[in-house]
Amino acid sequence: MKRVNLLIKIYCVFFLVWSLAAQDEANTEVEAEAADDTWYEIAPEDLLPDELPEDLYWETNNEDPEYASPDAVQGGTFHMWMRSFPDTLRPVGPNSNGSFASVLRPLQMGPVALHANTRQPIPMIATHWALGDDGRSFYFRIHPDARWSDGERVTADDFVFTLRFMRSKKILDPWYNNYYTERVTDVKKYDELTYGVRAADAKPYIEMLNATSIRPYPEHFHELSDDWVREFSWKAEPTTGAYHVSVVEKGKYVELARTENWWANELQYLRNRFNPEKIRITVLGDMNTAWLHFLAGELDSFGLTIPEFWHDKTDDEAFKKGYIAKYWYYHRLPVPAAGLSINTAMPLLDDKNIRYGLAHSMNIQWVIDTELRGDYERLPTFQLGFGAYDNTSIKPRQFDHKKAKEYFEKAGFVDRDRYGIRVKKNKRGRVVARLSFSITYGRQVDTDQLVLLKEEAKKAGVELKLDLMDWTASFAKMQEKKHQIAWLTWNSSGLSPRYWEFFHSVNANKTDNNNVTNTSIPEMDPLIMKFRASTNLEERINLAHTLEQMVHDHGAIIPTYQVPYTRQAMWRWIELPDRLGTETSGSLANPFASSQGYSSGGLFWINEDKKKEILAMKAKGEAMEPLTIIDRTYRIEPDESKDVQEGQ
Amino acid sequence: MWRLSTLGSNLVQTVQISNVFKLSLDPQTVKQWKRFRSIKRGYYSAVILVSLLLLSCFAELLVNSRAIIVSYEGKWYFPTYAWFISGDTFGLDYDWETNYRELRQHFKEQKEGNWVLMPLVPYNPFETEGTTVGATPPSWETKHFLGTDGVGRDILARLVYGFRIAMGFSLVLLVFSYVAGIAIGCAMGYWGGAFDLVFQRLIEIWNTIPFLYVIMIVASIVETNFWILVFVMVLFGWTAMTWNMRTSTYKEKAREYVNAARALGSGNARVIGVHILPNTISVIVTFIPFSIAGGITALTALDYLGFGLRPPTPSWGAQLREGTQSFDHPWIVWSVATAIILILLMVTFIGEAIREAFDPKKFTYYE
Repeated sequence: MKRVNLLIKIYCVFFLVWSLAAQDEANTEVEAEAADDTWYEIAPEDLLPDELPEDLYWETNNEDPEYASPDAVQGGTFHMWMRSFPDTLRPVGPNSNGSFASVLRPLQMGPVALHANTRQPIPMIATHWALGDDGRSFYFRIHPDARWSDGERVTADDFVFTLRFMRSKKILDPWYNNYYTERVTDVKKYDELTYGVRAADAKPYIEMLNATSIRPYPEHFHELSDDWVREFSWKAEPTTGAYHVSVVEKGKYVELARTENWWANELQYLRNRFNPEKIRITVLGDMNTAWLHFLAGELDSFGLTIPEFWHDKTDDEAFKKGYIAKYWYYHRLPVPAAGLSINTAMPLLDDKNIRYGLAHSMNIQWVIDTELRGDYERLPTFQLGFGAYDNTSIKPRQFDHKKAKEYFEKAGFVDRDRYGIRVKKNKRGRVVARLSFSITYGRQVDTDQLVLLKEEAKKAGVELKLDLMDWTASFAKMQEKKHQIAWLTWNSSGLSPRYWEFFHSVNANKTDNNNVTNTSIPEMDPLIMKFRASTNLEERINLAHTLEQMVHDHGAIIPTYQVPYTRQAMWRWIELPDRLGTETSGSLANPFASSQGYSSGGLFWINEDKKKEILAMKAKGEAMEPLTIIDRTYRIEPDESKDVQEGQ
Repeated sequence: MWRLSTLGSNLVQTVQISNVFKLSLDPQTVKQWKRFRSIKRGYYSAVILVSLLLLSCFAELLVNSRAIIVSYEGKWYFPTYAWFISGDTFGLDYDWETNYRELRQHFKEQKEGNWVLMPLVPYNPFETEGTTVGATPPSWETKHFLGTDGVGRDILARLVYGFRIAMGFSLVLLVFSYVAGIAIGCAMGYWGGAFDLVFQRLIEIWNTIPFLYVIMIVASIVETNFWILVFVMVLFGWTAMTWNMRTSTYKEKAREYVNAARALGSGNARVIGVHILPNTISVIVTFIPFSIAGGITALTALDYLGFGLRPPTPSWGAQLREGTQSFDHPWIVWSVATAIILILLMVTFIGEAIREAFDPKKFTYYE
């Protein structure tokens, strides 16, 4: 009986505590609601002026050439595929950053975009733009015809709403909350069609424009209730771009339809583009399944960047009989910074001679020639593909065991041990150090390439131990700077290379930042800061060249390879402009407006007559001339004229 | 008559065994051995498997890129187990490990009386051949008898060394987990009571921890190696043996001979070690082959999933994964699948035979 009593007492106490706690929670929720627009504080100097400045110099651009083909014909359905069905159609909030975001985001236009060839700003929703005299605000004039896909007008209120929306705690998206308070500090309406945006720091003109060119969110559509995340999960937002989501068949496909009488149909840089009437994106579990659907003509195009697909899988009737064409198209987008990052804070690796020796021990060209079938290219510098910012005079350190030997001997590694690995001996002949390093990496598929490097490095007397970890764990190890050498690729984006996060000494020997090489060079820091602060393009370009050279001389990064092109297979009924694509076309069959800020998509069209014709030929088994196009127009050829001394 | 004669010949054999090995075997063991031999399937499997295991101990002499003997300018070199010999030792123009296959070719062309004796399979399990792109099918000409894998490594070499590692792994695993399992199981059965009860519950709780998740977590945190894998597997594998040992100890403990030993003043250690354990040996022995099969499968499965030994360790699991990812190179998956099936089949046959041989029903008659 006593026990039962005790149990009841304990239960009562628990219940009391729990209910109190629950009440507390409820209270905080109410507070949070009230605090939705007061949780942040913006300093007065970060706000825009109340009146539109009078001395603004309004700019526009209608001088650059159009790059769409006047022959383009509208109509037809373009078929694409995705690996899995999206978790949500919301543009922000939980699960919104999945792969489907790459479909949803380009459906919306910003006030300006960048010309796909000249890389100059071109009007989109805005007709004119003007830089404020503080160097960090831009003012925009909205096109009077601009409409959402549901027919509502696009006004300055939508842009003001964007800031409120992105700062709201109700969207459950801390990243955007932070970005729209820390990086974008204010948006102000001056009249129905005029507004301004202010960013946190000044940057060169183009980058400033890019940073302030935020897309609008439709105020008439979103209701910021507590339940916004759940309620708007499957409501398709109206768009300003050519397409909007029209059909959602859960688990199967999503269909996009071209907006009827799209407001921008006749705009200079947008006419003759986005030609298919509909785009259907079907869920097909994996790449091999999708490939079979493509061969059956159920998909219109397929990416062939992977060597196996370009070389082996295309050995098929449909290619031999010419129904499908192969395209290999070089572009000039920033290439991912792929390389071996050497942790210079580790013993031995702090010696420049050893780093140089290691670079000469890595037979990267051999990996490219065998495993990658010679399709990829050696990456000469850490960051590349930023146009004038690229330092093309730098040549990569090639596999050369003589040079490696020279550098290792300079570092005191003269002898080899019983396994052929170089060792350093002290005066009494005892081994004090051995050239054995582990390479940390996180993807199983990279093992084959590393195995090749490992075997070749043995020749130079270097032992590489492969430290394969789960991707998250391996990245955590690199962020904690516990690795010796990291096999790592940074995705590049933006308009200029970045140095502060990778090489500034404030990030060295501290955890959780991108300076995984622990680079700390006193002479480099001021240059990096100057590069960051400068708004003069020419000065920035010169600084970038100097900095990239310093990175090369430091030898903490061994750049590996790049893929400066896109490869695709397309059924012959997909027609392309004469020039195929643009300088910034990351894909030839991209039906959407922009990629990486460049307005390069939507140039192809579907020739319905040809489609019938080809399908009839296929049914009868008739063949036509196979078509493979390799376009090297935008290939950056290695600069052979300047022979820069490697190393020192 | 026939019965008698077979019995007779068996007796002779027994004597021979005892003479040759100078062992005085207990008649029970002799009977069990004879019974085991009479089950042909199991016996021959054991012979093959043990010889494979012995051969694999000297795999460096059979499957290796290092030559067995090099005769250069009248001097003999034995590189197999020696210090690495750089190319310039034999008049080649590089200072890294000699490529003995090329050296052999070189000597043949020179015709100066130098020669190289290469192992049967002149490849080691790590080297990738510079001239090949991707996997090549089996060929007698290149001496890639089972072809090469995606990075141009010899599949036979990887199978052989993979076999050695897998067998080594399961034997080490077996020893450690049996020592722990038998000790604790015996103690539980011998002392019984509260000790038994507490350990039973502890083991039950321990068993509910999902072993695969632990391996996954460990593999993602530390650089797993052979010994870490063994440690984790033993940590979760020792419990299986305790139940059987506990039961048999309980059974044996109740027998008169244990009482007699106690009455004579034997201590606990002596009673367990000298009297009880030898009488439970049949339980232990019958489990061994299945534990070995379990060990091999576990390592292969872990390697297949990518949580096992670090690449580029030759491993059956990793090869199985490579082979099943793309069926464009069927020889990769065929060879390893055949090898796994054969080995596991043989181990199972042996297990079956041992179980049969140790079955007490053959020799005791309860009325």
